[in-house]
Amino acid sequence: MKYLLPSGLAVAAIALSFASCIRDEALNAECDITGVDSAWVAGIRQQGIIKGEPIVTNESVRFIKRRGDIDCSALAPLFTLTPGATIEPANGSVRDFTTPQTYTVTAEDGNWRKVYTVEFGVLEASSKYGFDHAKLDASRQYQEFYELQGNLAKPDTARIWASGNGGYAFTGMAKSPGEYPTTISPDGRTGSCARLETMDTGSFGAGLNMHIAAGNLFIGEFRTASAVLYPRRATRFGLQLVGSRPVSLRGYYKYKAGETFTDELGQVRPEMHDTCDIYAVLYEVDPDNFEALNGDDVLSSERIVSLARIDNPGEPQEWTYFDEPFKPCNGKAFDYARLETDGYAIAIVLTSSRQGAYFRGSIGSVLYVDDLELVYEAD
Amino acid sequence: MKKSILALAACALLAYSTPVQAQKSEGESLLRAALKGWHVKLRAGFLLGGTTPLPLPQEIRAIDSYNPTMNVGIEGDVQKRFDNSRWGMALGVRLETKGMKTDATVKNYHMEMTADDGGYMVGAWTGHVTTRVRATYLTFPILAVYEISPRWELRGGPYLSWMYDGDFTGEAYDGYIRHGNPTGEKAEVTRASYDFSKDLRRFQWGVQVGAEWVAYKHLSVYADLTWGINSIFPHDFESVTFAMYPVYANVGFSYLF
Repeated sequence: MKYLLPSGLAVAAIALSFASCIRDEALNAECDITGVDSAWVAGIRQQGIIKGEPIVTNESVRFIKRRGDIDCSALAPLFTLTPGATIEPANGSVRDFTTPQTYTVTAEDGNWRKVYTVEFGVLEASSKYGFDHAKLDASRQYQEFYELQGNLAKPDTARIWASGNGGYAFTGMAKSPGEYPTTISPDGRTGSCARLETMDTGSFGAGLNMHIAAGNLFIGEFRTASAVLYPRRATRFGLQLVGSRPVSLRGYYKYKAGETFTDELGQVRPEMHDTCDIYAVLYEVDPDNFEALNGDDVLSSERIVSLARIDNPGEPQEWTYFDEPFKPCNGKAFDYARLETDGYAIAIVLTSSRQGAYFRGSIGSVLYVDDLELVYEAD
Repeated sequence: MKKSILALAACALLAYSTPVQAQKSEGESLLRAALKGWHVKLRAGFLLGGTTPLPLPQEIRAIDSYNPTMNVGIEGDVQKRFDNSRWGMALGVRLETKGMKTDATVKNYHMEMTADDGGYMVGAWTGHVTTRVRATYLTFPILAVYEISPRWELRGGPYLSWMYDGDFTGEAYDGYIRHGNPTGEKAEVTRASYDFSKDLRRFQWGVQVGAEWVAYKHLSVYADLTWGINSIFPHDFESVTFAMYPVYANVGFSYLF
């Protein structure tokens, strides 16, 4: 008893001291544009200014204009922010978005701020992708591909390609932009090309049961926020950039599989051999509620209209030409009336490990792709 | 391993003290003479407390659960009272474990980790963090002793600790990390574990104060508060940006030979 009493008191005293030591909450340090007011977005979509949903990243907001000649000289977007954060210029300010505009968001605590670029760009339903242009992302860690479009004397840049590099950045395994799974390589067939390599995610990846990161490159959006929790939902394949009825996907590639195939548990599977994947998928979307296909349903969704894919790419060591026709899926036929209302989206997906989305593949598998062409039916 | 070392230490202490008890007549007087007024005490108790930043940083929003876990300390002391004085001194050797488990809610908590394979992660975490600490120390207290009355004495002074085995592990769960700092890319995480056991400091020191009450001729009850002065992690350790101190109460019985 004599012992129990003091020990009981000690526990109570410690518990009390912990509870009483909790200090006042610090003001928020985050300064995000968390989204764009949905009613405002629906409004400008109904006016025919944009299509789809704005793409909000950690430092940019991009709206996809329906056509290049649409007037964006007086728009007043409304952004949603981290609680307590402030935006300059203020929400609802009328600005000329003929060129990209910047906004500064300051955190509630006043110590942190971030500059966002907000742009209204037209993404042309281009048909040729040469992978000749890349620049560092806003955090200056990895490369992002972009395309030149419009007037070639003074071209616009269009960021239609996305990769999982933003997720790989969290592993800390890459010490320079060249050490990421998806990079630009000077060894192209013409100019530069895309180089995709399946890489080791190190102990932080292993701790999350993501032992490898396949190099991937796709038309669409990568949502880093979901990369750890729902990795297959982070890859949002496809944009509403359909020019006409797609006929085939063609281009050049070369591939070498890595030696040791590991599964999602990091276990070596000697009976397995890695293979790459190159495909394009056309699918239906609701123009008022754009929902991209993701890693879970990009090849199985009932919305898929047609698919062009190299079924058995093999391991060609030299640049190899391919030309794969779009084959209809789900009994669907292409509808030009639907195209007029932005009812289709298209994705091209490249990866160095076909099962990379499930974290199965071989470290060291390398895929090079160059001079892709999405062939549309002539009008 | 830990258990066997504890058992070994207990045996050593017993072996050391048994002759004092057994040899009554001639042996006892010889020993008394050899000790010249030094008395031998054997103490055993439980340690309850926390390995904690002090004060708690603002990043810690709530302690959702706290488990003191089972921590035992065994100590052998020699104690001497100075002639014609209430003051005395005590030297000891203590084998003790200090540990606890907590579950905390944190906001914008700086984390930095380096893995053996080159992986490196730095960011600001908002969510839940569990922490499990368990470290076994060989501790040497050097204490002043003051006798208030024949039944009460107070003890206090510094101690030096050598940690021979320590674990500092836990999990970050149900939250998100911002890469680098609060403006970095955000990634939601269900569960990620960490292990900083290798980074724990081997040498630690602190101060302790306590009281002892003589219940019977040979048996006393004691309560000590031990307070670490240096952090359990080195200064240049960046994963945990604030210093963490072991603060533990040690409560138990003391046997005076």
